[in-house]
Amino acid sequence: MSRQTTSVGSSCLDLWREKNDRLVRQAEVAQNSGLTLRRQHLAQDALEGLRGLLHSLQGLPAAIPVLPLELTVTCNFIILRASLAQGFTEDQAQDIQRSLERVLETQEQWGPRLEQGLRELWDSVLRASCLLPELLSALHRLAGLQAALWLSADRLGDLALLLETLNGSQSGASKDLLLLLKTWSPPAEELDAPLTLQDAQGLKDVLLTAFAYRQGLQELITGNPDKALSSLHEAASGLCPRPVLVQVYTALGSCHRKMGNPQRALLYLVAALKEGSAWGPPLLEASRLYQQLGDTTAELESLELLVEALNVPCSSKAPQFLIEVELLLPPPDLASPLHCGTQSQTKHILASRCLQTGRAGDAAEHYLDLLALLLDSSEPRFSPPPSPPGPCMPEVFLEAAVALIQAGRAQDALTLCEELLSRTSSLLPKMSRLWEDARKGTKELPYCPLWVSATHLLQGQAWVQLGAQKVAISEFSRCLELLFRATPEEKEKGAAFNCEQGCKSDVALQQLRAAALISRGLEWVASGQDTKALQDFLLSVQMCPGNRDTYFHLLQTLKRLDRRDEASALWWRLEAQTKGPHEDAMWSLPLYLESYLSWIRPSDRDALLEEFRTSLPKSCDL
Amino acid sequence: MAGAAPRVRYLAGFCCPLGGLAAGKPRVLCHEAEVFLSTGSELVYVYDQDGGLLTAAFRFPDQVWHLELLAPRRLLYALCARRGLYCLSLDHPGRSRSTSQDDRDSEDGDQPSPVIPVDPDACILPDAALCAFTLLDSVLVTLVQGPTRWKMQLFEQPCPGEDPRPGGQIGEVELSSYTPPAGVPGKPAAPHFLPVLCCVSPSGSRVPHDLLGGSGGFTLEDALFGLLFGADATLLQSPVVLCGLPDGQLCCVILKALVTSRSAPGDPNALVKILHHLEEPVIFIGALKTEPQAAEAAENFLPDEDVHCDCLVALGHHGRMLAIKASWDESGKLVPELREYCLPGPMLCAACGGGGRVYHSTPSDLCVVDLSRGSTLLGPEQPEEGPGGLPPMLCPASLNICSVVSLSASPRTHEGGTKLLALSAKGRLMTCSLDLDSEMPGPARMTTESAGRKIKELLSGIGNISERVSFLKKAVDQRNKALTSLNEAMNVSCALLSSGTGPRPISCTTSTTWSRLQTQDVLMATCVLENSSNFSLDQGWTLCIQVLTSSCALDLDSACSAITYTIPVDQLGPGARREVTLPLGPGENGGLDLPVTVSCTLFYSLREVVGGALAPSDSEDPFLDECPSDVLPEQEGVCLPLSRHTVDMLQCLRFPGLAPPHTRAPSPLGPTRDPVATFLETCREPGSQPAGPASLRAEYLPPSVASIKVSAELLRAALKDGHSGVPLCCATLQWLLAENAAVDVVKARALSSIQGVAPDGADVHLIVREVAMTDLCPAGPIQAVEIQVESSSLADICRAHHAIVGRMQTMVTEQAAQGSSAPDLRVQYLRQIHANHETLLREVQTLRDRLCMEDEASSCATAQRLLQVYRQLRHPSLILL
Repeated sequence: MSRQTTSVGSSCLDLWREKNDRLVRQAEVAQNSGLTLRRQHLAQDALEGLRGLLHSLQGLPAAIPVLPLELTVTCNFIILRASLAQGFTEDQAQDIQRSLERVLETQEQWGPRLEQGLRELWDSVLRASCLLPELLSALHRLAGLQAALWLSADRLGDLALLLETLNGSQSGASKDLLLLLKTWSPPAEELDAPLTLQDAQGLKDVLLTAFAYRQGLQELITGNPDKALSSLHEAASGLCPRPVLVQVYTALGSCHRKMGNPQRALLYLVAALKEGSAWGPPLLEASRLYQQLGDTTAELESLELLVEALNVPCSSKAPQFLIEVELLLPPPDLASPLHCGTQSQTKHILASRCLQTGRAGDAAEHYLDLLALLLDSSEPRFSPPPSPPGPCMPEVFLEAAVALIQAGRAQDALTLCEELLSRTSSLLPKMSRLWEDARKGTKELPYCPLWVSATHLLQGQAWVQLGAQKVAISEFSRCLELLFRATPEEKEKGAAFNCEQGCKSDVALQQLRAAALISRGLEWVASGQDTKALQDFLLSVQMCPGNRDTYFHLLQTLKRLDRRDEASALWWRLEAQTKGPHEDAMWSLPLYLESYLSWIRPSDRDALLEEFRTSLPKSCDL
Repeated sequence: MAGAAPRVRYLAGFCCPLGGLAAGKPRVLCHEAEVFLSTGSELVYVYDQDGGLLTAAFRFPDQVWHLELLAPRRLLYALCARRGLYCLSLDHPGRSRSTSQDDRDSEDGDQPSPVIPVDPDACILPDAALCAFTLLDSVLVTLVQGPTRWKMQLFEQPCPGEDPRPGGQIGEVELSSYTPPAGVPGKPAAPHFLPVLCCVSPSGSRVPHDLLGGSGGFTLEDALFGLLFGADATLLQSPVVLCGLPDGQLCCVILKALVTSRSAPGDPNALVKILHHLEEPVIFIGALKTEPQAAEAAENFLPDEDVHCDCLVALGHHGRMLAIKASWDESGKLVPELREYCLPGPMLCAACGGGGRVYHSTPSDLCVVDLSRGSTLLGPEQPEEGPGGLPPMLCPASLNICSVVSLSASPRTHEGGTKLLALSAKGRLMTCSLDLDSEMPGPARMTTESAGRKIKELLSGIGNISERVSFLKKAVDQRNKALTSLNEAMNVSCALLSSGTGPRPISCTTSTTWSRLQTQDVLMATCVLENSSNFSLDQGWTLCIQVLTSSCALDLDSACSAITYTIPVDQLGPGARREVTLPLGPGENGGLDLPVTVSCTLFYSLREVVGGALAPSDSEDPFLDECPSDVLPEQEGVCLPLSRHTVDMLQCLRFPGLAPPHTRAPSPLGPTRDPVATFLETCREPGSQPAGPASLRAEYLPPSVASIKVSAELLRAALKDGHSGVPLCCATLQWLLAENAAVDVVKARALSSIQGVAPDGADVHLIVREVAMTDLCPAGPIQAVEIQVESSSLADICRAHHAIVGRMQTMVTEQAAQGSSAPDLRVQYLRQIHANHETLLREVQTLRDRLCMEDEASSCATAQRLLQVYRQLRHPSLILL
């Protein structure tokens, strides 16, 4: 009787085992199938098969002869499921837990206790496993999956304890996970064991690389490049797929740059580029390196290459039906030095760097390219705008206008500004009514975004360049009107205008007012109306006492009007200020405003100061 | 009224599960004359409105949750539960047709179109967790249920002419977290509410408009667009995906801002903006044009351009409705105007129609609310050129169509009304032509022509309403009547059940008589139902008379001759009586299995009274329609037993010898005699031998005899009233035949023995005489009365004996209740009799066993012996003291 049941049981076992082997082979066939859909179907099919097989195995009471197969099927199921979904979920943790509980079911002295966490379960199972040598290799494989799950969920404490138990070492002996991973030696698989998608040794290698890379990157982001170096070297020396290797090399390059070894950094970056496929991160890192070295040409060149590289859609190869290193890497972090953003983001970096380094012509071209990229909806694929922390879209328009003006293309700049205003016209307060109300002086002007004022400012400047003084002055006046009536503190209601974080600072408002006043003053000066100019400059000094340029313009005008007393008083104030804490280094102004301010900076500042220095003592003596 | 086109027209019916279709998953899409329809099952139908027939039905591998049509390319996209996204080319449906025709399309028997199983290759995006999708010109937007969060994914759409498989994923962002529905781990349960996705474009966008015309997209006016989605989206003129989640969140994602590559999923905080939280599952997102002038302008000048909506609407399951409009405050600043309304829920589906109307369906009605400016009463306060505000409150107007689970509005028909395509919970597809302008007061100017038309419509409306009113009135009357009847029935039941042992307020008495029907004498039972209560028995009451013959009563296995007569009691007022006569037998086979039990019951049928009031007598009426027939109780009625009467041999005996000569029948006719035999018999000379086995037996067999002895004292005590001055023997015979029609003659002639005829024609002789029993009592002989039955038919003896014993039994029990004492008996003698009887019974047992096993020859002898033993058993006869 009993012999009969064993024979039935063993034949069933063979049947199940054959099914497992067949499904694993099917997954492997799917793996090698070139067609994406067929591949997906086959793999889904295999997954369902494994699920069914697991159900039938777990429908029976746990028995030691069947358990190795059951654990293997569980492992295959988890591996296929996680690789298909490209990530672990809570379900997989539950699958593992169920398997462990079933192992314990066979051990009366460890009898399954409810409310046991996964960690305690592993503890009990591994302690019991010395009595069950036939389960050892399957259990190690399951432990490898558990480790992968905990690593991807960042539960490193649990992971360390598990590895300690696996290694049989005393708890608390060593907290170095890398070391623990290295010392873990899973037992060799038997030759006649049921087929598996991935064995424990393979899992160990993947875990080792993934963990070393994670740790290195973490250290790099938190600012410990020397600590990061060793981990990253570990990752690079391990079994590392190419895309990951590119990232590891780039991270190594970044480490060396931060440690002040540009030569070695370059070597790693070159190595990363040689690895092929993903050129983005190394190119971006290279541009940073060249910027640090002050090699603007090389920097811009690498940025241009980066734009090109990002234009090529990265042909991601279909993921394997295995637990891969990529699966265990942390989700991409915006703060990571390896985050290279999108094409338009890079294009914006390139354009703004051109503007900052004074290559106005290039900047203008790049900006126009960027705007075309963003606005042209005929492009089959969407291009995202430079998302935060970059500037908001209106600011990109303004930067483009600045670049155009600087490149001497005032007419284009005017067109661009018009475009900006027309596209946002629906959002703006009803201007015609506003002007009327403002003239009547009855109603307050509503708050208007700063960039609207800035657009008028740039339009004025463009008209200046075109020699239309009157139009320029009226644009400056309109800008000032908007700026003075509005207080940015006015809280916004509703959901509108979400992007003005950068332009909303008080400093920016003050500087914008000063810039507009100076610009108008300069136009008055140019048209010979010095008194009007004086008024504007005086107001500007009042509005923005921190802006030294205003003082110079005022000083010059006073001098020209021959109001020497006031000029000397002003000079003394300026002198006192110079001795105090220096300049406006802490301001971070929007790029367009910074560029604009640089235009209206008096060119002969030092000469003027020198002139006063020599002339004033005489007056003092008086 | 006569010329008015029907407002609701039923197009087709589709199979639906028991209990109707659930809302949320069925979809109706309309493109030109074609209607694409999914009922939430595996099937997707294509219906041709012009031809009025189904042109195709596609069978998907699992439930279809969502449909979208890419009209210019004639591609139908379907989201199949737990499978992924399928795409069918409507021009080549045969491409995905498999060779074998599926025969399971039995839902519509005469359905001409074949059910086309969808090819697995048509699955363009296999993803089991896919919950919603929407299409944009070049992008496919999907919403996937992640382990803890909703994930929005963007896929590149191929250009026209290419393979419709989506290209690479070009963007991904995670939305807010959600609570996963409880389900078996690993097999997520089907969500009850699906998220709602829709694409919004700014008016200046160069996205071709016809692509947005589908169910999931619309164009918003710039001011509202900028206000909701910010300056970046406006500047980029980027489409925005609005997403209403089952937890009530309404969030938006600017498509152009979604980052492209997998390596850099977007930062949810920067990309996803939560517009509002409805705090109940979002079931619908739509947009409207509420400005009347602008709408007219759009109609006049841009007939084919779709309107730029100026109001965004989101609807929650429990009836909370959000409307957002852009408006300018007094200083000219753009501010959002946001209003929440509460409509009576639960909402099944909704659609936005022209003229600022939102149609929404609840289980009981399809309603319309008007958000347009014209409907508000705020006119004078509004600044002239500013956009009008939203109405402070909404009054849903009923359209009298119930349980619509999916709606689709075709914006304008030629007459300016709106045409809705609706799918009802019963799976019926219908079009509703709504001419709301005439139904709702509006600022429309009237011309003579329109006034005439309007009057006509009003009249037809009045007609409709009055029809409905009369119908409802009828229904109410019916229910009232049912309630009254129920109340009466309740009273009657209480009266009957609480009467206890006393006289019952409603009674039924049964008596039997012989009467001649055609050539045969038949025993007739007459039941008299008498209502002496204060209530009347009305419609719904039935008198049930069950006639149970003895063979049935004894033999439990046979389901035979219990006959139930049901006689409706139509109005039986207080004090009234009703008589019912029914034949008891002899039946076709000539036998009358005595005794026969006649039991009378009153039955009140709930189904008859209440069912009529509850049943949907007019399917057009939604209120009565929704009342399912299963509210009727399990039991179909109330059953009240009234009486039970047993008809035995003594009641059926006839005494032709007693009848006066002139009334004397030639002979009591037995059951179904051959008329020829009868004729021969009557013609026979007196003295000649009668023919037939019965007469032969009567001739040659000695008649069987059975007797019962009753102590005279007992009888005297029992018969003392009504029989004083009559000899005990005569009194006893009168008592035995009390229920027989011949009792008067017996009484008049003071008979103590009588010769009668049993129903089957055999003679039965009843003899009553006084005897003295000597051996029983030590005190001396006991005076007793012996009742002797003699008949040639053994069966009749048995029946008569049984009847007599039955009477004795009741008498003895009555006497025992009065406490008469038995005389002193010789117990030894009784024991002796008892022992004798026991041995005889044992012998009977063995003889009967032998009878079963023996062959015919010997069985005859055994039967003889058995008969003898039976006779011995009856001697000495039964004695009652």
